[in-house]
Amino acid sequence: MRCLTVICLLLVVAAVRPAPKKAWRLQGFAQGTTWHITYYSTDSILSFQSIDSTLQQLDSSLSIYKPYSRISRFNDASDCIESDIHLSNVVEAALQTYAATNGIFDITIYPVVQAWGFGTKKVTELPDSFMIQQLRACVNSRYLSFRGSRLCKQQPCVKIDVNGIAQGYSVDVLADLLEQRGITDYIIELGGEIRLRGRKYPGGEKMQIGIEAPGDNEFQPAMLQQVIAPGDGAITTSGSYRKFYESDGKKITHIIDARTGYPVQNQLISVTVLAKKAITADAYDNALMAMGLKQAFAFLQHHPELEAYFIYRKQDGSIADTGTAGFEKWKIVE
Amino acid sequence: MSRRTFLRQAGILSGGLLLHHQLMAAYSSRLRQTINIGFIGCGDRGRGLLHVMKDLPEQFKVTAICDILDFRLAQMQKEVSDDVKTYKDHRQLLEDTNVDAVIIATPLNMHYPIAAHALAAGKHVFLEKTMTYNISEAQQLVALSKKHAKQVLQVGHQYRYVPLYFRVKEMIEKGYLGKVTHIDCRWDRNWNWRRPVPDGYTDKQVNWRMYKAYSGGLVAELLSHQIDFVNWAFNTHPDEVMGTGGIDFYKDGRETYDNVQVVLRYNQGNMIGNFGATCANAREGYIFKLKGTKGTVSLLVNEGVFYPEPATRKELQTVDGVSGATKIEWNTDGGIPILKEKGKDGTWYALKDFHKCITEKQIPASNVITGATTAVCVHLANDAAYAHSVRQWKPAFNFST
Repeated sequence: MRCLTVICLLLVVAAVRPAPKKAWRLQGFAQGTTWHITYYSTDSILSFQSIDSTLQQLDSSLSIYKPYSRISRFNDASDCIESDIHLSNVVEAALQTYAATNGIFDITIYPVVQAWGFGTKKVTELPDSFMIQQLRACVNSRYLSFRGSRLCKQQPCVKIDVNGIAQGYSVDVLADLLEQRGITDYIIELGGEIRLRGRKYPGGEKMQIGIEAPGDNEFQPAMLQQVIAPGDGAITTSGSYRKFYESDGKKITHIIDARTGYPVQNQLISVTVLAKKAITADAYDNALMAMGLKQAFAFLQHHPELEAYFIYRKQDGSIADTGTAGFEKWKIVE
Repeated sequence: MSRRTFLRQAGILSGGLLLHHQLMAAYSSRLRQTINIGFIGCGDRGRGLLHVMKDLPEQFKVTAICDILDFRLAQMQKEVSDDVKTYKDHRQLLEDTNVDAVIIATPLNMHYPIAAHALAAGKHVFLEKTMTYNISEAQQLVALSKKHAKQVLQVGHQYRYVPLYFRVKEMIEKGYLGKVTHIDCRWDRNWNWRRPVPDGYTDKQVNWRMYKAYSGGLVAELLSHQIDFVNWAFNTHPDEVMGTGGIDFYKDGRETYDNVQVVLRYNQGNMIGNFGATCANAREGYIFKLKGTKGTVSLLVNEGVFYPEPATRKELQTVDGVSGATKIEWNTDGGIPILKEKGKDGTWYALKDFHKCITEKQIPASNVITGATTAVCVHLANDAAYAHSVRQWKPAFNFST
């Protein structure tokens, strides 16, 4: 009898033990780049469609490349428009970052970015100092405000570009979607911006993230500089080594210092930021790029919620890297 | 594979989009000097080269054009400025002191005699592929070029200048594909490969590719590109060439095969290369696949995809994500696109190299030695195909500078 009970119990245990988790992968194109999602669960519980439509929805709100988007309508408007949840979330986060960085990160920089040829239109010649000065009259996040659900600008010429933060935000929106479905082990990547949680199954290993760096010179292909296993959180990278063009022997990078209106020229090649949320990491990676190494480290001392890893060019032209103490802990040593 | 190796290898796939800069750096001259160009041969390829050259006005100025066919000359004349001189006889063009270098884009049988005249006349030469009509001409041109060492002789095998193919060579050299044992190439079409013959001209004048006296047919005109690439990428040549073919569909009086298959055996390289073309099916069109123990590269003219073998795939996926401006992108069919930015046409870089070699007195990447090696391959392949037999490489075909 006892034997039978044990057998019955074993059978019950076998019946209720869940099937092992395994990897499910989805991928697609959005926001001018690719996205990949790997999640670990016993069954497929997420459709390509649900991700794709979420990303399309984000695009209709935040893309300056879509003339009908909420952000384009704001840029075309002379004062206020009815905002939506995504635009409000992103602008609010951007205003917080604006304050925290003393104006280095500023989404109203858009007219200047466009003048440098990194907007939606191509430019035939580079802006001169007079033009930059004129355009800067429209650059200041203080010109933005919310009136209830309406987003307003103080001057009609104020235009915003949330490219520096929207991808990170989109990754967070996707993470929320996964978590709503009860998924607790996943990695989401959109255009190199990453959010991850949990572990890989069936083995239960930690997830590993490679951080890309340029080669020793600009004619070399990029390579992975570091591999880290950061646990739950977000990772984004901002770099001057890919999106740039050359004019009269000068590198014009897409990262514009909002305080000056000129492309950032310092020793930093790329900054990788780790934070709890991707929108935070994404907002600060460009700001840290603009600060330069010394100021960035000083800034990070007051922001324990951020960890960062820098690749920079030394005075002698060689490439070196350094990271915050927190970052060093995540590194996987060979 | 150690992590370090992986990191390096992932790099070539995830990035490397600065290849245009890489090629620019390799093929740009430090010297500002405009070279006066004479075109000999104003057919499709000649005009194609002219269009690319118009993109390089600082490097080249067209001063003369020549074709024995009036309608060809008239076509080209419309596309150049009025002060460009026209000639019907290439020897007269070669006497023109306002010509520094010539582009030879004529039927294959005329490549050698015109190139020889041009070298004798002191001109630099850009000679279209295939370099020569037969082996003895290849040998003679090598000897002749050595006598005129100060003049540049470049051969129009532009795969050596196409960013995509450049990258694939790099992948091969870095062991990315593992050991490549098999190469499959096709260049198929479903039409007669003829051009319309204007009134007053003969079929042989316009459709010279159909006649053995003028052309090496599909092998010389098309497959020679891939044959040359294999020679270049693996730094080798075949040791044994088998061939077959026929005039199997277009029984329209042509002499060169409309359906051909050659198999090249590379003993040193431990490889087999299959090169085939038909005029009677277009389903696969262009195929170029390099199959190695670690993966396959599948190439189109401007696109390439790397398909890792299962073990390699596992190694490439040792990280779960990559943060950075670019990253490895997997296709839905399990491949990794090799080059996301296409760069310019190979001919553009080839002409840059021509300019650089003239101004800086260097030897081009596609030169008389490499051109001769491929010309021998093409000739052996045609010889084997027409005889339905096997041809062996001989020590006399090993050219060196």
